[in-house]
Amino acid sequence: MSHRGWHWIVGITLFVVLCIVAVGTGPIPIAPRDVVNALFGRGEQAVVAIIRELRLPRVVLASLIGAGLGMSGGALQGSLRNGLAEPYLLGVSGGAAVGAVVALALGLNADAAVSLAAFAGAGVAVVLALVVARAAGRGGRGDPRTLLMAGVVIGAFANAVIMIALANAPPNTIRGALWWMMGSAGDASWSSVAALAISISIGGGVLLVLARDIDVLALGEEPAAALGVDVDRSARTVFLVSALLASATVAAAGLVGFVGLIVPHIVRAGGIRRHRPLLAGAALVGASLVVAADLAARTLRPPAELPLGAVTAVLGVPFFLSQLRRAT
Amino acid sequence: MSALFIQRVAALALIAVAACDRSSKRPVASITDDFGDTIRIGATPSRIVSLNPATTEMLFAMGAGARLVGRTHWDLYPDSARLVPDLGTGIRPNVEAVLGSRPDLVVLYASADNRTAALQLRKAGVNTVSLKIDLIRDFERAARILGLVLRDSARARVVSDSVLRTLDRVRAATRDLPRPTVFWHIWDAPLITIGRGSYMNELIDIAGGRNVYGDVDVPSPPVSIEDVLRRDPHYIITGPEGATKIRADKRWAAAPAVRAGRVLVVDTAVVGRPAVRLGEAAVALARALHPDTIR
Amino acid sequence: MIRFRDVAVRYARASSRALDGVSFDVAVSGVTGVAGPNGSGKSTLVRALIRRQPLESGSIELAGDSIISLSQREIARRVAVAPQREEAAFPTTVREYASLGRYPRLGLWESAGKSDEVAVERALERAGVSDLADRRTDELSGGEWQRVRIARALAQEGRALVLDEPTTFLDLSHEMSLFELLHSLAAEGLAVLVVSHQLNLLARFARDVVILDRGKVAAHGSPDEVMSAPLLESVYGWPLVVSRDPATGSPALVPLRRPSPPPPSSPSES
Repeated sequence: MSHRGWHWIVGITLFVVLCIVAVGTGPIPIAPRDVVNALFGRGEQAVVAIIRELRLPRVVLASLIGAGLGMSGGALQGSLRNGLAEPYLLGVSGGAAVGAVVALALGLNADAAVSLAAFAGAGVAVVLALVVARAAGRGGRGDPRTLLMAGVVIGAFANAVIMIALANAPPNTIRGALWWMMGSAGDASWSSVAALAISISIGGGVLLVLARDIDVLALGEEPAAALGVDVDRSARTVFLVSALLASATVAAAGLVGFVGLIVPHIVRAGGIRRHRPLLAGAALVGASLVVAADLAARTLRPPAELPLGAVTAVLGVPFFLSQLRRAT
Repeated sequence: MSALFIQRVAALALIAVAACDRSSKRPVASITDDFGDTIRIGATPSRIVSLNPATTEMLFAMGAGARLVGRTHWDLYPDSARLVPDLGTGIRPNVEAVLGSRPDLVVLYASADNRTAALQLRKAGVNTVSLKIDLIRDFERAARILGLVLRDSARARVVSDSVLRTLDRVRAATRDLPRPTVFWHIWDAPLITIGRGSYMNELIDIAGGRNVYGDVDVPSPPVSIEDVLRRDPHYIITGPEGATKIRADKRWAAAPAVRAGRVLVVDTAVVGRPAVRLGEAAVALARALHPDTIR
Repeated sequence: MIRFRDVAVRYARASSRALDGVSFDVAVSGVTGVAGPNGSGKSTLVRALIRRQPLESGSIELAGDSIISLSQREIARRVAVAPQREEAAFPTTVREYASLGRYPRLGLWESAGKSDEVAVERALERAGVSDLADRRTDELSGGEWQRVRIARALAQEGRALVLDEPTTFLDLSHEMSLFELLHSLAAEGLAVLVVSHQLNLLARFARDVVILDRGKVAAHGSPDEVMSAPLLESVYGWPLVVSRDPATGSPALVPLRRPSPPPPSSPSES
């Protein structure tokens, strides 16, 4: 326990420090004391607004996104028995992108409209993927290979739709669509934070409860059934809830890749195997990672901001290199 | 043959040669456009496709509106422009559709996207001039080129002079006035404004203001809200849609300009392109920035 | 303990049944062996037992209750099944792996307690892998890995143990020691069902043997009764004899070599 406890203390401390630094950093230098005052609503109105309406919601949103993606990735990797599974697997990214691009192409620029459309698109895509998998599979509905292929099919279809929608769109629509697809925590507002917080807590809660089932599912479908898991129901619930978490994060911030893929591996490298602590750890590490990435995204190239997805994509390179080394 | 007969034939020959000579001496307009291509225009064009927002306006102002057989989707000024067939956005134009209008002159916007179209049109035998009109001096040059092409340089000069004169007047009127700082909001997600490479930056200058992003070389740089707040513009300029968004957004409420109600709404149709309405745009802007200045 | 009654299974879109009228019992305190050629339905039987394959007709009873009336968890509490294939994607320690066997006995909100730890330790001991408890599962040899799987099954604390082809890829010593383990577990009171194509080993260790042939029970009884040459020849489709092994006293199946046809006479000889 002491070995594990140490990990948690370090993890939580790191996260808290990152959040503090993130709230205190930005184009406008604000003294730490003023930051703290502003958090409580005291001080110059402009500073209070910057801290409370710009930076704080952004950091909270980034944490929620990281937590959601981390847990979703961890749950999918365990239940699909595949270390390369990630939250956008079941067509989530393709479907969400279709929803968002169609909304933008129709001229619906409001954040809420695009978010809702993205979420709806993701939902439709996941349902379609599950339907396709069920129709194609020989009966093993949770068969990872069939699901993965179904996700690929839906993703390919979504790409085609996006390209058609953007083909003759005016340049501003294309720019907006591209920006959305590269992910950003920049449109954070307290309302989007609240919506995401609800999804993450519900979804995360369900996954933590199902964590033990995932431990057993990780052995294979037959061994899991032999150990008493209702494989079809458990696996399907895990997939759906993971997809829900991923869709909620996409609705809030666009496509933020690699987080859900890498974070569970980081937690596993720390020696954590059981999925209850693994998912909790993934939430923590994921949150830290995305807060750090968002901080980098808005400070690396002033006055412009890099898209969040671009920063996290860079992480993919060392990760896949390490996987390659391990495989050979 | 008699000597008289030879004389008459010689005389006829000389007259004939002289006549040919005169027609070959008709001036040929030779233009170098913004892709670096040289275009030689012989006869005055009578069927013009203008896929460049600024030039459509200018052609109408020069009285050549009747010769237009194609425009871009957004060319709606003057009103009679609406009668000209819409041939798309002007970016990667459908070459077949353009050729279908049987033009003898096509004016394109000189962006990298359009190089292929320029090449294809030229191969099909149509004179194609590509112009990049980002700054006010580009407008001047474009007017001069159009004048050459239409063989009506006088008219072109009139059009461009009247605009420039208005601009000079506004510039003079605001020269000694205090210069408020300005942020021009173009687009959200990503947040885009104008920098030094844009005529809009020049307009702000002429109208007696100072663009907070005037130090950035790029015509339309992306920025972040917090950076705008840091530069603390006195006024925020935007179109009607942008104004509604900004006023409703809690994050923008951190800006003193928004809180004090100094969000200026401009007609994007007037300021949207560096052409004939530049003067109008400058006047409107000057009035907004210096409400006490009468024009 | 386990009763198969007229079990019939047909896979989707299959023309014939994978299992047809299979009936036999697996009693406590003994080893029951199931053998047969490939495709005879051996693995289908195991799959049907853990409800991964629905029955077309018939029933399977565990300690008197039909598996249809039991929850998946309850089945796992009564019988521990180690299926043929397992794809552990993420390596873990042997102890961790064995403690997954406690899953059917833990409620949704419970965490493993002292009694669970004790049960896991005892299972590791009975399977003879206590000294491997802290090793990683991807570092084990084939024989060690099979024993660890049995340890996990034993941690379930069921009264029956079912193993599907536990000795594939195992060498002689590991194979023998595994069967010895099964025999001693049966002696302690477990009802052990082993699916194996090693008919000779089943003959030595099992009390009852069931021979499956294309989904039907071709023979069922003691090894002596079941090991008859004509029967096995027709089931396996290969000439063989059944001899009695003088060293062990058990019947042993010996496949014969096919007589080779005489070589064609060469032209130069005639």
